[in-house]
Parts: sequence; structure tokens; C-alpha cells
Amino acid sequence: MSGVARRRVGWISAAALLLLVAVAASLAIGSRQISLTEVYDALLHGGTSDNAQVVRSLRVPRTVIGVMVGAALAVAGTVLQGITRNPIAEPGILGISQGASLGVVCAIAFFGVHTLTGYVWFAFAGAAAAAVCVYAVASGGRGGASPVKLALAGAAMNAFIASVVSAIVTTNARALDEFRFWDVGSLSGRDATIAGQTWPFLALGLLLVLAMARGLDALALGDDVARGLGRNVALLRLAGTAGATVLTGVAVAAAGPIAFTGLAVPHIARALVGTAHRWLLPMAALLGPVMLLLSDVIGRVVFPPSEVPVSVMTALAGVPFLIALVRRKAVAA
Amino acid sequence: MSALDHDVSRPAVRAAGYTVVRAGRGSFLVHRRAAVAAVALAAVLAVAVVASLCVGESFVAPTEVVRVLLGQPSPDELVVGTLRLPRLVTGLLVGAAFGVAGALIQTVARNPLASPDVIGVTHGAGAATVAAMTFGVTSYTALPYVSVGGGLAAAALVYLFAWRKGLSASRFVLIGIGISVALGSLSRLFLTKGDYLVAQQAKVWLTGSLNGRGYEQAAPLATALLLLVVPLLWAAQARRGVSLDDDTATALGIRLDRVRLGLSAIGVVLASVATGAAGPVDFVALLAPQIARRLARTEQPPLVCSALTGALVVVVADLLARRLFSPIELPVGVFTALVGAPYLMWLLIRTRSRSGGTA
Repeated sequence: MSGVARRRVGWISAAALLLLVAVAASLAIGSRQISLTEVYDALLHGGTSDNAQVVRSLRVPRTVIGVMVGAALAVAGTVLQGITRNPIAEPGILGISQGASLGVVCAIAFFGVHTLTGYVWFAFAGAAAAAVCVYAVASGGRGGASPVKLALAGAAMNAFIASVVSAIVTTNARALDEFRFWDVGSLSGRDATIAGQTWPFLALGLLLVLAMARGLDALALGDDVARGLGRNVALLRLAGTAGATVLTGVAVAAAGPIAFTGLAVPHIARALVGTAHRWLLPMAALLGPVMLLLSDVIGRVVFPPSEVPVSVMTALAGVPFLIALVRRKAVAA
Repeated sequence: MSALDHDVSRPAVRAAGYTVVRAGRGSFLVHRRAAVAAVALAAVLAVAVVASLCVGESFVAPTEVVRVLLGQPSPDELVVGTLRLPRLVTGLLVGAAFGVAGALIQTVARNPLASPDVIGVTHGAGAATVAAMTFGVTSYTALPYVSVGGGLAAAALVYLFAWRKGLSASRFVLIGIGISVALGSLSRLFLTKGDYLVAQQAKVWLTGSLNGRGYEQAAPLATALLLLVVPLLWAAQARRGVSLDDDTATALGIRLDRVRLGLSAIGVVLASVATGAAGPVDFVALLAPQIARRLARTEQPPLVCSALTGALVVVVADLLARRLFSPIELPVGVFTALVGAPYLMWLLIRTRSRSGGTA
């Protein structure tokens, strides 16, 4: 094995190990500290003690959703940065998660839906509608969906939908009062039903994206080179957008809009394993959950008894990492 | 090759399409298409201004509006001159300031997705203001200072972290986003902590609103714009160097880091002061330069056209915000994107592939 490959395998193993630690921490640490042996017992042997109940009914679903959301966001971000060739592309800035927000606002304001599990389908529908519009706008006109047009169409759509959302919540105080808690993005209060609703989509999105890893590498070299290498550029971009949309839909439906993970994790992963997507995508899929779970754990304990929502914590805890990395390395898009 | 490197291969100034204008001993290049676009935008803006002064609780005839604007006596002087004009002037200045700020920051970042949002200014201002509101500061005379302070402090933080033996465009943008996201999360945290009346009020401020704004808010903004005229003239020339790659620029004797710092600093000041006046009026700084660039067909967002587009978007959006759901006046920020975004999307759809370059 060459030095580069050995280093990549090393980093991936380290990330996997880190993920295990993060999962264990997420199961054990909270307002009620539960020892790891007790967690282990509760998972394998059941038991009806309070601690076992907490682990099984609260901590496990929360951790599972954290892993799903983290992986989905990080992989979606990686793909979007790849197909737009823009280092600041992410689900948030491309309008997809804003579309999900619109779906949820409509659910609250017009359809009388007030439960987290009820929001899920509205969020999905909104994300899908936004992505279809972005792609339609970007691929209109001559030249098809070029990276810049895709990025700009996403930004314009993001702006447009955000305005619609503001229009609804500024004229409807009750909707705002409910929406602001969803809009902050959090893993708390999510139960196993949500994981059950969303996992098939996560699997679908991940498969779609992993299948096009080599294509993404070719796309990074520019459209002309990719075409020269025999890749169907338009198809790659369509598939990439679809995959990223499904993944973003999963994440936003399950946890609300969580900024930053989708932006930062791809950069961190790239700094560690390089730009080849067959390494980059798995690395992002491992590091995303690590970032999300560790932030969530910090958010649970930093200001007891109240919790800091995970979206706030990922930004506050992740920013120093990103800054350190960006200062150390030259940034590759 | 990344999108950021993309326009390096193209010459920054093309002789074709430019006219040399000589005035006395000086001479400068004018992009012909941009000049035409600027004149057209100014004409449309003039119409929008008059329309905006006509429409309100009571309708005022355009002839009377023009009389008031020209300083002639008119029975409608109170409604037009005292009630509607101050708000309109604030809107014009805010839009122009955001348009120019966005153009400068997109030029420096060489990224069409960049805007004062992305480098921390608006989120810094937002976080400071929401924090102040949560702790009970609600006066519209104190909040602008809090917000300008927050915006400048956030930008200073971005420069501090991004400057490392120079200012690289991608490092600047990425660190800016990092700081922005952190500050944005803080304001959302404050929003969930306060009760919902404060949340509602803060949300309106965070969307950007011209309700109750007048000369009191316009004056500091006008002063800032006047003081920045000379720096802006420098910027109009210096920014051409930014599209060069670092080696070429060094060979030509251009100190790119200083140019980037200077250009973005002007943008930061403009965006902070504008945010202080009206809140972070969403997306004007992002959309206006890209619309202007497509109208003028220039490589970089044109400054004058961006200012005019920004002002136009804000004036039209505020007209809609005032009248569409009257008697409820919505924040102008709700409508800036409703006005600007569909137009940008339409431009994207009909644009030819060649002009779909980078910022």
C-alpha cells in the first residue's frame, strides 16, 4: 500500500473510532449521567430501571437520528460543492433546506399539522419542490446547468423562499411561535418514528451519491475534461442534485435546518483524505455524525438544565475547527 | 480547477466594449453597455420613485409629486414631502449601499454567492441587535449603533482570522461563513430564549424594515456614502486587478492583498451602516450585483449599476410591502427577494452560456 493510501485508511479508521466514541458519549452523557456498562446492559438485556428506559426510549432514537442527519448533511454538502465547483455551496445556500422550511411553515399555518412526525412529509415535499425549481431554472437557457448558474439559481431560490417564509411568519404570530422552535434545528424530542420514516430515503440518497463518486472526480476537472473522459456531465449534475436533495430532505425533515455541518465537514474531510470522492464521501459520512453528536452532547451539558440546540452548538463548536483548518491549508474546492 | 480560478484565464479589461472618456488632462475607460444600462436603470428608478411617492393611504397625482420634488409649493407637501419622502430616501440609500457592498465583496471573493451576509457583517449586526432586544433595548435610536458596532466587530474578527501573510479570497470567504454561521446561531438562540413578542419584533428587524425610518436613519448613511466617494473612485479602478491571479498581479506591481483588504473594507462599512439604518434587508447585496452584471454584461459586478439596481429593488419592494396587505405594513426585506429573485432567475434562464462566467 502506498503512503497516501495508508494515510487515508488511517484517517478513515480514526474517524470511525471517533464516531464510536461519539455514539457512546451521546448514549451516556446528558442531564442524567449513565455509566457505559449500564448503557450496554440496557441495550442488550433490556431491563426496566429508569436509566434503561431513558437509554432505550430517549437516547437511542436521538443518537440514531443524529448519525443519520450528520451523515446526510455532510454527504449532501460534499456533493453540492462538487457539482457546483463552489467551496461555499451547501444545502442551506442552495435553497433546498429553505424549501423544507417552507413546507413546514405551510404545515403549521395552513394545514393544522403540529407534530414533528407530521412535519416530515411536508419538509420532504418542500425540499423536493425547491430542488426541482432550482434545477429547472439552472438548466434553462443555452449551456445547460453550468456550475455558476446552478449556484446562482440556488441562491436566488433560497432568497425567494426565505421571503415567502418571512411573509407567512411575520403576518401569523402563532405560526412564528411554533415555527421558531422547529427552525432552530435540534435533535431533542425526536423519537424512533422519525427515524423509521426517513431511513429508506437516507439509504437511497447515499447509494445514489456513492455510485457517482468517480463521476464527481471527473467533474472537478471541469466540464470539458469530464466530457473528454467519457462522462455524461448533464446526467451527473442531475443525479448529484437529486442525491443531495434526498439527503438534505432527510436531514431537515428529521432535525430542522442545521447549518454549517454540510459546509464545514466536506472541507475538514478534504483536508484529511484529499479530493478523491471515493475517499472523501465515506470520510464525510463518518465525520458528519461525529460533529453533530459531539455538539449535541456538549449542548446537553453546557447550560443545565436547559439544552442548547444542536444547530447552535455545531456552529459554535465547529467554527474554531474550520478556522484552524482553513488557516493551515490551502483550500481546494 | 475550481470556480474560483475560473476567470483567471480571461483578461480583466477588454478593450472592445470600452470607450475612453477624456476630461481635461485625465481620461478613464467607460464600459459602453454598462453606461447604457446605468442610464436605463436610472430612468426606471426615477419612475419608481415618483410612483412610490404617489401611492399610499391617499393617492397623490404624479404632477403634484414632481412639484414637491422640485421645491414648488403644493397642497400635498405634507403627505409627500414630510411623510413619504424621508422613508423613500432611506430606502434609496440603503438599497444603493447594499448593492455596492455586495458588488465589492463578490469581486473580492470572486464568488457570486458572496455577500455581506457571507462575511459576517449582517449576522454580526443581527446578533448584537437581537441580544440587545432580548435584554430590553428597544429604542430605534440606540439599536442602529448597536447594529453597526456588531457588524464592524464581526468583520474585524473575520479579517483577524483570515489574514495570514495576506488575504486569500477563498480563506476570506470560508472564515467569513464560519463566523457568520456562529453569529447567526447565536441570534437564533436568543430568539428562542425571549418571549414571542420580542421574537416577533426581532424577526421583523432581522428581515429588514423601513417602517418608521426617516432622515434620522438616512443622515448617517448619507454621510457615510459621501465620505466613501473618494475610496469608491479608487475601488472602481483598483478592482480590475482582483481578477488577476496572484503571480500576474505581483508581476504588474499590484499588491493584491491590500486591494482585497481595501475593497472589502469599503463593502463592510457600507453594509454595516445600511444594516444599522434598516436592518439586514435580505438578499439585496446578493442579488443586485448579479442582476446588474447581467444587464451590463461585464466580467465583474459594475458598481454604479449595482447601486442603482439595489436602490430600485428596495424602492419597489417597499412599495409592495406598504400597499399589498394594507393596512398591515410588512417589512421590506420580505419583498426584496420576491422582487429581485424571480428577475435574476429569469435572467439566468435566458442568459447565453458565455456570459454565465464567474463573479
